[in-house]
Amino acid sequence: MPSIKRKVLVLIALLVVAFIAGIIFSPFLRETTYQLKNWVGKPSPLPPVSKTVILYFSTPEGELLSPVERKIPVKKEINDEIRMVIGELIKGPKTRSLFPTVPPETKIRAVYTKGDTIYVDFSPSIVKNHPGGTSGELITIYSIVNTLLENFPSYSKVQILVGGETINTLAGHIDIREPFKKNPEMIEQSKTSQ
Amino acid sequence: MVFQKIKKTMLVAFATLGFLSPISQAYQDYSIGRIRAISNPYSTSIFIEVAKNTGYVARELIDPPRIMLNLYPAKLSPPFREIIINDEFVKRIRLARDSMNVVKAVVDLKTAEYNFNIFSQPVLSRVVIHISPPKKDIVAQLLTKEENSKDKFTYTELSSSELLPFSNKTIPEKKNGIYRIVIDPGHGGKDPGAIGPSGVKEKDVTLAIARRLAKLLRENLDVQVFLTRDTDKFISLDRRTEIANLLGGDLFVSIHANAAWDSKVKGTETFYNSQYVYGEGAEEVATRENAAFSSEVKVKNIIWDLIQNQYRSESRQLAEIVQNKLVATCSTLNRGVKSARFYVLRGINMPAILVEVGFISNPWEEQKLKTPTFQDKIALGIYKGLASYIKSFNRKVGG
Repeated sequence: MPSIKRKVLVLIALLVVAFIAGIIFSPFLRETTYQLKNWVGKPSPLPPVSKTVILYFSTPEGELLSPVERKIPVKKEINDEIRMVIGELIKGPKTRSLFPTVPPETKIRAVYTKGDTIYVDFSPSIVKNHPGGTSGELITIYSIVNTLLENFPSYSKVQILVGGETINTLAGHIDIREPFKKNPEMIEQSKTSQ
Repeated sequence: MVFQKIKKTMLVAFATLGFLSPISQAYQDYSIGRIRAISNPYSTSIFIEVAKNTGYVARELIDPPRIMLNLYPAKLSPPFREIIINDEFVKRIRLARDSMNVVKAVVDLKTAEYNFNIFSQPVLSRVVIHISPPKKDIVAQLLTKEENSKDKFTYTELSSSELLPFSNKTIPEKKNGIYRIVIDPGHGGKDPGAIGPSGVKEKDVTLAIARRLAKLLRENLDVQVFLTRDTDKFISLDRRTEIANLLGGDLFVSIHANAAWDSKVKGTETFYNSQYVYGEGAEEVATRENAAFSSEVKVKNIIWDLIQNQYRSESRQLAEIVQNKLVATCSTLNRGVKSARFYVLRGINMPAILVEVGFISNPWEEQKLKTPTFQDKIALGIYKGLASYIKSFNRKVGG
């Protein structure tokens, strides 16, 4: 009898852990069924290991990008890590000396990688809430492209998608139908990261 | 004891439910539904039923001609599907599971002469592939333009195709040198461009400056001036390029007002197009997917790049002269000459620049940009730059 009781207790304990884990991780689980298999295998939550990434924000002149370091939790899937980094970029800088580069309302619809290209699919608010102007557009594009290629050096190109499709331009100037390579000329050289 | 047992059972039941809910979310249905094709005598439409948030990336491939789509997120079961269409344009469509949540769809075409359009209709949960007869080849158009189009277009023809030349004269024979200038006021109609903090719209500022610039050029130089738009109406970027090329312009000047994320940003900059490798991505896919890249396509790409490079140095020179004269005339902050890959400049078959006259996002510059006095000043600055370039160019060719 006691052994059965213990088994039941252990079972309940396991289910409770799974229940909590399920609630905590449900937003992340939607993307791929792939990860779920790993979590089912190991129901304990992931160790909260973080890593430092580099985000590029606009300088006050709106001409160059300045690097900022920020810590993000480590993800098992590279696509999730890319999503995390872009999410941090959308949040904008924490200092007043730099300026945001992507409309804060922008959502990430999907992230995927193929060959040497990272595809990032944004919600249409990246177009709708964009301030416009060639300078504003260049800053948006290259803050995304340079940030991703800096943190994920195994890729060499970034394709920006909006609403699941390649579109002509964000605000009527720069052609974004094809992927972009890193643009080191737009990175501010003099200052070090903060 | 009984009460405790019930408690336990309930706990187990809730825990199981809580555990299952994320699973059901994770296994959200991205599966590809019905595929339908409608064959018309002059077009073929293929409808692929997908999940609401499924996106795609499309590529054209050659030898044999086909269109490849990567659908994401999407699932396919069974992992392969083939639909035979066999009409005017399309042999069949093949779908295969590519990787986790990616499905590859290949439309096998009957002919290499086609034009295609793909769009997603999220409301109807489908992706539509539309295949129709080809439009005139843009590169062939660029090459034959020299012989045909320059003298072909008359004033009446132009106005019927929505063009509004600023000159009342009919177009005389084309001379050597720079005699035909296309001014492109940025944005218009439903596209206001950037909007200033007090509500000044970029489209109004660019049109006002373009009109003033056209007047100055017409009054002071022996040139014909055309505007891609002379009213507050929407014209696509493709159409602007097309207009300039059909007119056989000698210079293309696109006028814009800038915007930045910080309202303190100010100044003037002039852009020209950066080197554009035609079909960079597509070529890569083609070389991977095909053993050999068709020599015809290769030649087209080379010609395209030669056309671009030929005008690159002229465009840069023009940008520098205009930038310097503009900054000197208006005493604005000189942010310099830059290059970027502009949609509107990509296919332009003439030296082309894009002037960002000032920042409409800066309250101080916004107020200046809406005054006729400052608009006159900007037009004068650009005019001085263009005049200086045109005079030295025409002297060189002896026009």
